[in-house]
Amino acid sequence: MSVTGPTPYVEFAGPGSAPSTGPPTAPLTWGQRAIWEAIVRTAPDDHYFNFGRVLKVPGSRTVAEVCAALAALLARHGAFRTRMSDPLRTTLAEPYQRLAEKGRLPVVVTTEDPDRVLDELAARPFDYFGEWPVRVALVLDGDRVAHVVLVFCHLAADGLGAEVALRDLRILLLRGPNVRRPAAPQPLDLARRQAGAEGRRAAQTAAAHWEREYRRIPPTMFAAFSTSSAPSGSPAGPPIWRALLRSPALELAVRSIAAEHAASTSTVLLTAVAELVGRFTGHETCAVLPISANRFRRDTTDIVATMSQEGLFTLDRREATFAGLLRAAGPAALRAYRSAYHDPADRNRITASVSAERGEPIHPYCCFNDMRFADPGPARCDPAEITAALAQTSVTWPMSQDKLNCRFCVHLTAEGVSLTADTRCLSRPGMERYLLELEALLVETALR
Amino acid sequence: MIKERLAELVAESSDGAVTADEVLAATVPLSALGVTSISMLRLIDAIESEFGVEFDLSDDGMGLLDDLDRLAAHLASTASR
Repeated sequence: MSVTGPTPYVEFAGPGSAPSTGPPTAPLTWGQRAIWEAIVRTAPDDHYFNFGRVLKVPGSRTVAEVCAALAALLARHGAFRTRMSDPLRTTLAEPYQRLAEKGRLPVVVTTEDPDRVLDELAARPFDYFGEWPVRVALVLDGDRVAHVVLVFCHLAADGLGAEVALRDLRILLLRGPNVRRPAAPQPLDLARRQAGAEGRRAAQTAAAHWEREYRRIPPTMFAAFSTSSAPSGSPAGPPIWRALLRSPALELAVRSIAAEHAASTSTVLLTAVAELVGRFTGHETCAVLPISANRFRRDTTDIVATMSQEGLFTLDRREATFAGLLRAAGPAALRAYRSAYHDPADRNRITASVSAERGEPIHPYCCFNDMRFADPGPARCDPAEITAALAQTSVTWPMSQDKLNCRFCVHLTAEGVSLTADTRCLSRPGMERYLLELEALLVETALR
Repeated sequence: MIKERLAELVAESSDGAVTADEVLAATVPLSALGVTSISMLRLIDAIESEFGVEFDLSDDGMGLLDDLDRLAAHLASTASR
């Protein structure tokens, strides 16, 4: 990336731990702990978890004005002033987080394409112990800042947390860095609440679900190194591949089914994904780990933090029709979302004890992440329109890498439905067939 | 009384997608009113913290959530215990 002029810094200062007498350190929140475990399992390919946003700057703002707004953003949200603390330098066995009251964040100033800048900033893993968990670039148009590029460390924010940060930065740019607003909820306080009595109650409800279901689900959905599927096309190629299905027909079908059965589009897709996993593997009970936003409590709706965690969704496929599956899936999805707000330490303990009991490791390795910010929602669609849209279906292969902490990951984004899989468990032709059969199942159901 | 309060909680949980009056007038389950899974989870959390109960999300427990009269009666009986 070509950099314009010397690197400016955002000098920031914000409140320390609240109450102010408390220590600036806390255990990780449950969401941070879950991401931390995923990062450790995915390293050195852990840049996989980085993500970013581009904010079009409202009005006409200089570099200094944007830096002042960024300083106010960092003052407001402790997540951006928080780093992992090195457990090796302490007597604590567990990693923990440390909030800084002040610091300096380097800012890249450039004239390049914002999306390219974002990709470059996101391409290398964060130094979780040394670096601030957000990277910033200002894209100039003349002497004014046209775009702010923010790349987030997943320990500091998830997709919805990033949206909150972007909204706040926009307000700070519009109304100035001294605008008065109610204080924002802070991750350190959340970590302490989760460790307290209220957190333990929620954790126990969630843990009971994981334990009950782990006793009855198949040990895993896709066995590693399955002999029934050929490995990746090229033996020298990386084992992890992503296939992206772009299908307007699938989108219309999902909206139609959701309207017909008074379900959410997310539940329709989760159910179809689980049913298709069953058809591909022969499992009668399918376990899928949907990533839940975990922002349904009043104190967490607007927090800049990583809240999203995996829940456990189980679908018994004995019901013959998709409508029957969908009826059972509604309550099952709610149970899954509630189980997503769990203490990863409980989940690890349950995984170990049930695996020992059953004599083999238990882990679905099959996840589902609805990352759409705008759900088009249920709507009846014209069957002829759905059929005609099938002509626009395409499958592409946008990404491959060496390591991943899962074997089978379905992502829903504005682009379409992607499947990122370990080709030692499901071959590339198998992945493509999976996505096309998913489309076929949904289109057939909608047209029935 | 409890039913009216529940209708307010539904409206709050749905971010205004449905109003308390619509909830009280409805003859169909909440899910059919356009209350999404996220709103449903917010509602569960709001009822649990306000009434000091814990929902059993079994199919029966969920049926209770879809019927405000039954839910209000259930909460009244829990409160009087």
